[in-house]
Amino acid sequence: MTTALQYTLSGLAIGGIYALVALGFHIMWSAAKAVNFAHGDTLMLGAVLAVLGVDAGLPLPLACLLAIAAGGIFGVVLERFAVRPFTGTNASIGWMLTTIAVGIMIESLATMQFGGFSRPLASPGIEKAITIGGAGVYPQELLIPLVAVVAMIGFRLLQKRTLVGRAMQAVAHNRQAASLMGIDVNRIVMLSFGLAALFGAAAGVLVAPVIQASATMGALLGLKGFAVAIIGGITSAPGVVVAGLAFGIMEKFVEGYVSTAAREIVGFGAMILVLLAFPQGLFGKREIFKV
Amino acid sequence: MKAQKYLRSLVMAAPMAVALSTPVLAQQQPCIGNSAAITGPAAFGGQAIKMGAEIAIEEINAKGGVLGQRLRFVQYDDAGAPPRGVDNTRRIALADKCVVILGGYHSTVSVAQVEPVHALGIPFVGVLAANTQAIENGRSPNYMFRVSAKDKWVARFLVEQAAKVSKSGKIAFFYENTGWGNGALPDVKAAVAKAGKELVATETFNWNDQDMTPQAMRARDAGADVALFWALDREGNQIVRSMDKVGYKPTIIGAWGIAGNLGELAGPLANGVEVVQTYSFMGELDPKGQALWQKIQAKYGLKDPSQIKMGSGVANAYDAVYIVAKAIEKAGSYDWKKVREALYSVRHDGLVAKYDPAFDASDPERQDAILPRDYKLTVWSDGKLLPIAQTPYGKAN
Repeated sequence: MTTALQYTLSGLAIGGIYALVALGFHIMWSAAKAVNFAHGDTLMLGAVLAVLGVDAGLPLPLACLLAIAAGGIFGVVLERFAVRPFTGTNASIGWMLTTIAVGIMIESLATMQFGGFSRPLASPGIEKAITIGGAGVYPQELLIPLVAVVAMIGFRLLQKRTLVGRAMQAVAHNRQAASLMGIDVNRIVMLSFGLAALFGAAAGVLVAPVIQASATMGALLGLKGFAVAIIGGITSAPGVVVAGLAFGIMEKFVEGYVSTAAREIVGFGAMILVLLAFPQGLFGKREIFKV
Repeated sequence: MKAQKYLRSLVMAAPMAVALSTPVLAQQQPCIGNSAAITGPAAFGGQAIKMGAEIAIEEINAKGGVLGQRLRFVQYDDAGAPPRGVDNTRRIALADKCVVILGGYHSTVSVAQVEPVHALGIPFVGVLAANTQAIENGRSPNYMFRVSAKDKWVARFLVEQAAKVSKSGKIAFFYENTGWGNGALPDVKAAVAKAGKELVATETFNWNDQDMTPQAMRARDAGADVALFWALDREGNQIVRSMDKVGYKPTIIGAWGIAGNLGELAGPLANGVEVVQTYSFMGELDPKGQALWQKIQAKYGLKDPSQIKMGSGVANAYDAVYIVAKAIEKAGSYDWKKVREALYSVRHDGLVAKYDPAFDASDPERQDAILPRDYKLTVWSDGKLLPIAQTPYGKAN
């Protein structure tokens, strides 16, 4: 019983990271029908910049906020120069290559500047593990899934209650119609990428105390976050968050009862099976393209 | 048909190519080459080798060089990728015409270099990578030498330490799912069996894994009171944190992958974690070590010995260059074959050990110069990795 609880709690912590990353993919996809494949590196950027900020003598909260803001700016700039020029026509896929390319460039740059070692980021959330029913966990780890759920609810409210949110939905639904109604499509898409990048960088700052900041931390988290977004149905915000948390827990149980080596095999195998049964993802809505 | 013909002509041409290239090979120069990671996550390994080798070469040149000529050092980046290591091996042997090639940080690269090193016939001296099979490769004559730790002996050394402190006689083994980690598993199994102890958990993990609570719980529930680590700092930190979460406090003894910045990453949780090394610049140094540290300080602008990541690599490379220089003097020539033979008769009072002789032609295990009795146990203590005798942990034993 304690064992199962331990796996669930540890899984929730990892799953919370996947959920936050996947939520970013959801936001970008719903506005632009394109995503930033360097999203994992946005997360890395948040974590690495926070550590560098602390190195430079900034107080921890300020360093974290600046890192998150810098991540948001990165998202906006990336959309302008690596996505927008390549999404002109319906079938264009140039943005896949450009965003992957930017991700690799950022990772190399970070390795050069930051070095190869992982670096810790201090946080009151990891000073002492707490015990819940015999299972041990850091408070910081419980915070991550919580933030993912709150971010999801916040984004839903933004979509439903604000003008900008409604404009995002309109752009997602039909770019040309939205444009004809007087919505500045480019600005909305840029805003979505910026918002997604803010979530990504915030995820980086949140996980850095638990998993340490390093130049290479983003790649696998980005890939798994994308996989989770697809499994959950990239068009559904609650879908990707639930799928993220579930994926994290499933990984821990596979590690616990089968082996670590089997984790990726089972995880990505499950992803393919889900897609065979539910081509739109578990919670995704069927998208109708009119030609 | 055509392909067969082409192949046949290639086979025919091969001996000719060798015959043609022999005169070119005969003009080796007073140069020592090195292929190591100078970029990427293990860049500190290449940096350590560079420091040790460059300072040794400067000292030798100040005394007149070898055979009346100045020694040179060339280093190429392999970034831990075996194909690039192979490429660099050829470049060092054929373009730079170096006498000897020093090995790098990654075991996978060293294993890949066995083939080109023997095809070319250039002596290879490993100074970091510890994989057993890279040097004990079954070739005769064997051109692979090493002035560093060897996994097989490290495993025995660690298990001996574990046997000393274990009360239950039950040992757990945590190893990374890479060539280095998997290569050590049979060595550890054999060493534990030999020591008459019980290996109750063998737990693996991947690079970048964020949480090892399942593995920690299995080891805990199996009753192991000593855990052996074959991990790097980042994952080593995740294991000690996961152990902390599940309330598991075994004695931890690790191979030198956790000699980098575990103390910074894990904070107080790293206290008492023991690491085997061949050398450490931390704590009190003997006059030889002190002199080398002062030169490193001056040349590379370091302030504190803790800034040297992988001090073992510096010391191993420093000793290796001296051994090679002495072998060249003994051979009276820069010729690869003669230098290889001379390596077996070199005696040298080095920084890490007294090499007497450095290598032994009659024992295939003695292509390794540093013996287990020269290994040093260090321990993490408030963020610093100190020789165990200079800490409270050493006095308790």
